[in-house]
Amino acid sequence: MADVLLVDDDRNFLNATAELLGLLGHSVKAVDSVADARELIGKHQFTHMILDLILPDGSGLHLLEALPAKSDTKITLITGHPSVKSIVKNLYGSNVSYLIKPIDLSQLQSLFVEHQPVAGVNHSTIPLHFNFLVGESEPMQHLYEMIERVSLTRANVLLLGESGVGKEMVAAAIHYASKVDGEFVATNCGAFSRELINSELFGHEKGAFTGASHRKIGVFEQANKGTLFLDEITEMPLDLQPNLLRVLETKKVTRLGGVTPIDVEGRVVSATNRTELEIAEQHRLREDLYFRLAVFPIHIPPLRSRRSDIPLLVQYFLSVFNQQYDSNISISEESLQKLMEYDWPGNVRELRHAVHRAFIMADPQKKLIVLPNDLTSPFSKISQQHAAGISVGKTVEEVERELIEITLQHFDGDKKQTADMLGISLKTLYNRLNSYADA
Amino acid sequence: MLDAETQRLLHDLRNPLNSISINAELGKLTLERTGDIQRAIHIFDIILNECRNCSNKLNDIKNTPRKFGEEGVG
Repeated sequence: MADVLLVDDDRNFLNATAELLGLLGHSVKAVDSVADARELIGKHQFTHMILDLILPDGSGLHLLEALPAKSDTKITLITGHPSVKSIVKNLYGSNVSYLIKPIDLSQLQSLFVEHQPVAGVNHSTIPLHFNFLVGESEPMQHLYEMIERVSLTRANVLLLGESGVGKEMVAAAIHYASKVDGEFVATNCGAFSRELINSELFGHEKGAFTGASHRKIGVFEQANKGTLFLDEITEMPLDLQPNLLRVLETKKVTRLGGVTPIDVEGRVVSATNRTELEIAEQHRLREDLYFRLAVFPIHIPPLRSRRSDIPLLVQYFLSVFNQQYDSNISISEESLQKLMEYDWPGNVRELRHAVHRAFIMADPQKKLIVLPNDLTSPFSKISQQHAAGISVGKTVEEVERELIEITLQHFDGDKKQTADMLGISLKTLYNRLNSYADA
Repeated sequence: MLDAETQRLLHDLRNPLNSISINAELGKLTLERTGDIQRAIHIFDIILNECRNCSNKLNDIKNTPRKFGEEGVG
């Protein structure tokens, strides 16, 4: 869904275009003067601006100057004459597109088709696979093959992987590889209350329920002929899942409060960070829905199983941040080694945040990122603690060592208190700790 | 060659044409997606009004005196 600012002084055109774009699922702000538009640009970042060239209080071109440098907003000028196109192109480069009056629906839609790949322009030299994915390791090559194969079909895909592995990026890559006409629409099933899930998925008519002051187009309709990405599908309440199943089976959706079923086609890519076993054991998905959604399951590898991609990912993130902050920061061999050795329980998301933080802390003289002494996040410490304990396959020595380390950590390194708690002498504790240090 | 005033009037014709085009698209999509007849009727009224607007503008062009004292276009 695009966030559009529309500026035109012809009220009939302005109102109709705003309503039309709204029906297509975009969010639109419509104003009829340069002054009003300038005010909105100051408050909000739009993905698209559609501007009339000549307005009562100035030119739409004045608004281009109001945009921040290196803005990602896509500009489209409405002009009455094709000759204006070449003149403005000389002034503002090829980043500006044009609509020649009279404008029709296909012209309008073409503005957004090009924008669908969310990752956009690749400013780095690192190759992007399917416009979104970075990595040349064997697990990633396998993933690319899966994407290639499924893109040739219309099968629904279930993405499985730990938190932070890039499930939405893979979904966008599948959409990109499929070369479909419709849009890529992403929504998170875990982010809505029970009451709102149906409205989000299927839309509602005006007055369908208290507070439904406008008609809303659901994500199934928005993604018609495209790709619908349903993140955290396993967090959807079980009793609401039959509604979703029905749409997948009939390929028809009826808005809440509506009577007419609307045809919807396209691919549903859903995602979860639960394992297939957990889904089945904990009844997270109805069995019939699981088989509809997981026609083609794809496992996305955790970052620790593709460490050889870490340098590429780091270079890619650095190029993004350098572009964003107009700087030239790089990484030392030593820092890269440290990043390669860490386990990254939060996967690529955690790596990106770590690089971003280190980028902000970068040494301005050396132009190198500065990593913190301890890379671990509080979340990974919790999971490490949970991992500790008795489980089949561990030796007595391993369990003893874990117990001593956790207790020591609990008392902030106080060996006397640790020994008391463990019911061993201080001497025994020292002996154990020395033996771990020697190992 | 058309004189500057006629060119301007012809250029002005694009505005009502533009409104007709986009309102026709809106009318189609409104009926397809919402089936809201009342809304569609309102949109068709806007289109008819813009057609009258076009006709007036064409009359303006027709009645514009051409260079060298020629009769109006058409």
